[in-house]
Amino acid sequence: MDPEVHSLTGAYVCHALEPAELEAFERHLARCPTCVQEVAELQETAALLASAAAQTPPPRLKAAVDARIAVTRQIPPVVSHEPARQADRRPRRRWFTALGWGLAAGLAAVVAVLGVRLNDQQNQIDQARQRSTAISTLLAAPDVHAESVNVSTGGNGRVLVSRSRDEAAITVSGLSRLAPGKVYQLWMMGPSGARSGGVVPVTAEAFDSVLAHGLGDARTIGLTVEPAGGSAQPTTEPVMLLPMPA
Amino acid sequence: MLGRAGSRTASEEQATLEAQLHRVALGDRDAFDAVYEQLAGPVLGVARRVLRDPAQAEEVAQEVLVEIWRTASRFDAHRGSARAWALTMAHARAVDRVRSADASARREARAAELMVVPPFDEVVEAVEARLDRERVRRCLEGLTELQRESVTLAYYGGYTYSQVAHLLSSPLGTVKTRLRDGLARLRDCLGVG
Ligand SMILES: [Zn+2]
Repeated sequence: MDPEVHSLTGAYVCHALEPAELEAFERHLARCPTCVQEVAELQETAALLASAAAQTPPPRLKAAVDARIAVTRQIPPVVSHEPARQADRRPRRRWFTALGWGLAAGLAAVVAVLGVRLNDQQNQIDQARQRSTAISTLLAAPDVHAESVNVSTGGNGRVLVSRSRDEAAITVSGLSRLAPGKVYQLWMMGPSGARSGGVVPVTAEAFDSVLAHGLGDARTIGLTVEPAGGSAQPTTEPVMLLPMPA
Repeated sequence: MLGRAGSRTASEEQATLEAQLHRVALGDRDAFDAVYEQLAGPVLGVARRVLRDPAQAEEVAQEVLVEIWRTASRFDAHRGSARAWALTMAHARAVDRVRSADASARREARAAELMVVPPFDEVVEAVEARLDRERVRRCLEGLTELQRESVTLAYYGGYTYSQVAHLLSSPLGTVKTRLRDGLARLRDCLGVG
C-alpha cells in the first residue's frame, strides 16, 4: 500500500477524489482506524465551511420539502448491521442458466423464504407511495440494471435490479387472465434452485410492481402458472424468464 | 429558529439536533421542522456555493432535506455529528450534480471564472449563519495561500483535486497535502474534535 494513501483524507472529505482513487481510498478506510478518525474530524470541519455559506432558504423550499415528505416513506432502523462489502460477493456461478430451467427446478429441494412484499394488508395509496419511493431509490442506484422480456402467453415483464441494494422491482403487464383455479407465481431462480416469490394477484390484466428484497444467488426471475394457492416448486414451464445480472 | 438558538451553546445545540434527528427517524414531523430550521440554510448555502445556479441548488437542497427525513434512522451518532452527516450529504450531492454530464458544459463556461479564487467575503453570503462566520473567516485567513486556495476550490468549487492542481498550476501531490493540511489547520483553529 502506498504510504501516501493516508494523505488523501482531505481530498476525500472535499469529495475531490477521482472515481478510481475514491474506490481505493474507501477500501483503505475500511482497515485504517487512523484515517477513519481523521476523516470524521475533517468532516466536522468541512461542515463548518458549509455552515459559513448558509443562506436563508425561500419559503417555497419548505413547502416543496413538506409536500415530498408527506409521500416519502422513511426507511426503518437497521436491525442487524450488515457490512456493505460488495467486493466480497461470491464468484459468479452461471451454471444454472447453462443447465436451464428444467434441471435446476429438479435440483431445487429447499423452499426459502423470499422477502417479496405484496403488502396485502396495507391500503392502496400507501402501497403506491412505498413502491414509487422504492423504485425511484432503485433507479438511482449506481448499478441499476433493467431487463425486459415477453411473456410467452401474452404480456411483457420488466425488472429493475440493483445488486448493491440487493433489490429488484418486477412489473408485468398485459398478462392473460387465467382459468379459475389457476394462479401466476413468481420464482427467484439461481444455482441453489427456485424459491417462490409468491403468488401474483392478477385482478385485471397487470399486476403492480413487486419489490423483492434479498435476491441472494438468484439469476433469473421466472413466472409460472400454478394451481390456486401456489406451489412449493414450479410445476409447469415458465411463461416468462427475466435474466438478472450477477 | 435561528434567532432563538443564540442563547444555547454549540454543544447543547448539537445534542438537540441529534435528539431531534432521532425523533425524525420515528416519523415526528415537529422534530423534522426543527431539524429543517437548523439545516436548510447551510444545506442550501453549500449547494449554492458549489453549483452556482440557484435553481439547481434549490433542487439539490430539496433532495437532501427529503433524504434527511427518509434516512434519519441511518444516522449514527458514533460516526459524527448530525450536522456533519447532513452537510456531508449535501456537499456530495452538489458535487455529483456539478460533475454530471449535462453540467460539464456549464463547468467549462465557468472554469475561467474560477481561475480566480473568489475572496472569502463573497463565499460567505450567509444572512443568518449561527456559526461564528468571523471565526471561520479568521481561520481561513490563517492558512497559507495554497492551502486556502486548494480548500476553497475543492470544497466550495466542487473540483477534484487534480482539477485544482491544474487550476493552480501546482503539482498533484502538493494540492493533495495542502487539502489535508489546510483542513487540519482549520480543524485546530476552529476547535473541532
Ligand atoms: Zn490511513
